[in-house]
Amino acid sequence: MFNINYTFHWNQAFRALPDMLEGALITLQIAVLSMLIGIVVGVLLALAKEARFAPLRWFANTWIEIARNTPALFQVYMIYFGIPAVLQLAASLFGIDFRALGINIFYLDSYWAVLVGIAFNNAGYLAETFRGGLRAVPPTQTRAARSLGFNAVDSFRLIVLPQMFRAVFHPMTNQMVWAILMTSIGIFVGLNTDLTGITQELNARTFRTFEFFALAAAIYYVIAKIVTGGARLIAWRLFRY
Amino acid sequence: MRLPLILAAGALTLGLTATPVLADKLDDIIASGVLRCAVTLDFPPMGSRDDNNEPIGFDVDTCNDLAATLGVTPEIVETPFPDRIPALVSGRADVGVASTSDTLERAKTIGFSIPYFAFNNVVLTREDTGIESYEDLAGKNLGSVAGVFEAIALEEDFDTWEGGSFRTFQSQADVFLALNQGQIDATVVTGTVAASTVNSGNFDGFVIKGEAPFLVDYVSLIALRQEYGLLNYLNLFAHQQVRTGRYEELFEKWVGGGAEAPNLTVPGTYY
Amino acid sequence: MLGTSVTWGDVTFMMTGAGLTLAITFWAMLGGTLMGMVFGLIRAQSPWYVNHPLGAVLDILRSVPLLIQFILFNSFQSIAGLGMNPFVVGCVVLAAYTSAFCTEIVRGGILAVPATTRKAARSLGMTYWQDMRYVVLPLGTRVMLPSWIGLTLGVMKDTALVYAIGVIELLRSSQIIITRKPHEALIILAIAGLIYFIVSFPVSRLGAHLEKKWREND
Repeated sequence: MFNINYTFHWNQAFRALPDMLEGALITLQIAVLSMLIGIVVGVLLALAKEARFAPLRWFANTWIEIARNTPALFQVYMIYFGIPAVLQLAASLFGIDFRALGINIFYLDSYWAVLVGIAFNNAGYLAETFRGGLRAVPPTQTRAARSLGFNAVDSFRLIVLPQMFRAVFHPMTNQMVWAILMTSIGIFVGLNTDLTGITQELNARTFRTFEFFALAAAIYYVIAKIVTGGARLIAWRLFRY
Repeated sequence: MRLPLILAAGALTLGLTATPVLADKLDDIIASGVLRCAVTLDFPPMGSRDDNNEPIGFDVDTCNDLAATLGVTPEIVETPFPDRIPALVSGRADVGVASTSDTLERAKTIGFSIPYFAFNNVVLTREDTGIESYEDLAGKNLGSVAGVFEAIALEEDFDTWEGGSFRTFQSQADVFLALNQGQIDATVVTGTVAASTVNSGNFDGFVIKGEAPFLVDYVSLIALRQEYGLLNYLNLFAHQQVRTGRYEELFEKWVGGGAEAPNLTVPGTYY
Repeated sequence: MLGTSVTWGDVTFMMTGAGLTLAITFWAMLGGTLMGMVFGLIRAQSPWYVNHPLGAVLDILRSVPLLIQFILFNSFQSIAGLGMNPFVVGCVVLAAYTSAFCTEIVRGGILAVPATTRKAARSLGMTYWQDMRYVVLPLGTRVMLPSWIGLTLGVMKDTALVYAIGVIELLRSSQIIITRKPHEALIILAIAGLIYFIVSFPVSRLGAHLEKKWREND
C-alpha cells in the first residue's frame, strides 16, 4: 500500500531552526499586540453594546457580528485588499487623486494588516466574553458592597472586577492561543517574516514540505503549551482560595 | 518423466520473474496509455484557462507534444505552484510541465530535465510610482511570489538596500493585486508573464520598466528524482523540441510580438 | 450587475464555491461528530492510562494551526502514495480537527450530568445503555447542543483555509475573480463576506436562543 518515493531530509529542516525561531518571535509579537488591542477594544465594545445611545449599540453589534460570523482569513484579506479599495473609492468621490499627488495613503504593510485583522477578530470575540463576565457577577453583590459602605468605584474595583476577571480568564487564555495559531494566515497577505511565512518560503525553495512544516507544527505546539501552562500557573496564583 | 516437468516449471518461473520487475515510470506511462502532466494554470501565457475553462498555454501544448511522441493521451492535472511536487510524489501526475526553475536546492528533492524554456526578468510597476529602472527599486515596497527564482534574487539585492519592504505572496495573481492596490510599488517578474499581464488590460497603469540584472531563469520539466529512464526521455524531448523548430513555433504562438525565443544553451559549457 | 462589471456568471461561480464550502463543512462535521462522540465517551469514563494519551493526541490537533495541518497532511498523504484529491484531504483534516473539539463537548456534556442522577438511574434497575439513552443523552444534549452549533459555525469558517491546498471554495473562487477584475475587489469580497454571514448568522442566533432558553429552565 505504501509506495514511498521519498527520503526524509531532516537535517535541512533542523539547520533552518534558528530562522524559524526568529519567525516564531514575530508570531508571538503579533499575537500579544493583537490581544492587548483586542482586550481594550473588546471592553469598549462590551460597554457600547449596553449603551443607551443607539448608534453606539449598532456599531458594536455590527463589529461583533462580522468578527464572529465571517472567517478570520476573510477579515485579514479584506483589511489588506479591501480597505485600500474603500479609501481609493472615497478619495475619488471627493475628486482627489492621491496617486497623482505622489502620496500613497493606501499603503498598508502585511504585518499591520495581519495585526489589525486579528485584533479586530479578537475584539469581537472578547467583547462577548466580557459581556458574559459582567453577567457572572450578580447586581446584588454591588448592592451588598454599597450597603457595607464601599463607594461606587471601590465596589466595582474590589468586588465586581476580581470576580469578572476570574470568569473571563479561561476564555481569554483560549483566545490568546487562538490568536497565535491565527497568525499563520498572514502568508495569504504577503507576511513572510512570521513562523509560517518563513516555513513556506523555505518550502518553496527546497520542496521539502513535510520536514519544514512538521518542525513548524512542533514549534507552534510548544508555544501554545507554554502559554496555556503559564496561564494555569497564573490562575493558580491568583484564584486560589 | 519427472525431469522435463521440473525443467518446464523452472523455465516458466524464470520467464515470469525476468520481465516485469524492471518496469519503470516510462514503461508505466506507455502501458497505461495516459500521460498526466502537472501544469500551473495561473501563470499566463505558460498556463491559463480560456473562456470555456479549458487549459491553454505554452506548457499545455508542450504536454500535448510530449504525449504525442510517447503515443499516449495527455491529461492536464492543475497544480498551483506549491502543489507541483506533492502531485508528482503522490503519483497524481507523471511529469511536471510547470515552469519550474532548475535550482540546485530543489534538485536535491526532484529530478530536472535540461531546460525547455528560459525567462528574463523585468521590473513591473505602476505609472505613478516614478520607478524607471531596476536601480530605482531601492527603498521601495516590493513583493514577489514566495520562494521562486526571481523572488530569491530580488530579496538578495533588497537586503543590501536601505529602507522599503519586501513581501512574498502565495500566487502570481496576489502579487499583481497587491501592486494594483498600492500595497507594493513594484515586482520583478518573468518578462513573458509581465507582457501578457500588461496586454490583458485588467490592470491599468501597469508598466514594464526595464530588465532585472539577474541570471537567466532556466526552467525544466520535472519528474521523480530516481526515474532516470523518464528523465532521459524528457532530456531528449526538450532537445528535439528545439531541433525540430517546434519550440520556436510555440514561442511565436504564445509569446510572439516579434521577440526572439530565448536561447536555451549556455556558451562555453556542457549541460 | 449593480453598475459594476461583476456578472451573474461570476456570482454563480462564487455560489459553486459556497456549495463546496458547505460540502466540506458537512463531511467534516459528520466525521468529526462521530469520532468526537466515541472519543468523548472514552474520555469521560475510562481510566487515566487511556484518557490521558487520547487527550494528549487530541490536544495536538488543537494546538497547531489548522493551515499547517492541511499542508502537513497533504504532504504526508502524497509521500505515502495515497493519492487523495485536495477535497478529500480537506475533509479528512477538518474532520480530525473537529473531532478534537467535539470530544471535549461530548465529555463536558456527559460529566455535566450529576453522578448522583446516574446512580439513581442505575438503582432503578436501568442498564448502562438505558442510563445513557434516557438520562445522560437528554440532560447532556442541553449542555452540548449550543456548543456543537458554535463548533459547526467555527468549522464552516475554517474551511476558508483549504485554499492553501488548492480547493476552490468560496474565498478562493472570489480571489480568482478578483485577479480578472481587480477593480471590483471590494464588491467581490463584500459578496463573499455576505454569503458567509447569511449562512452563519441565523445559525448562531439559533444557538444563542437555545442556550438562553435552556438556561432559563435550569
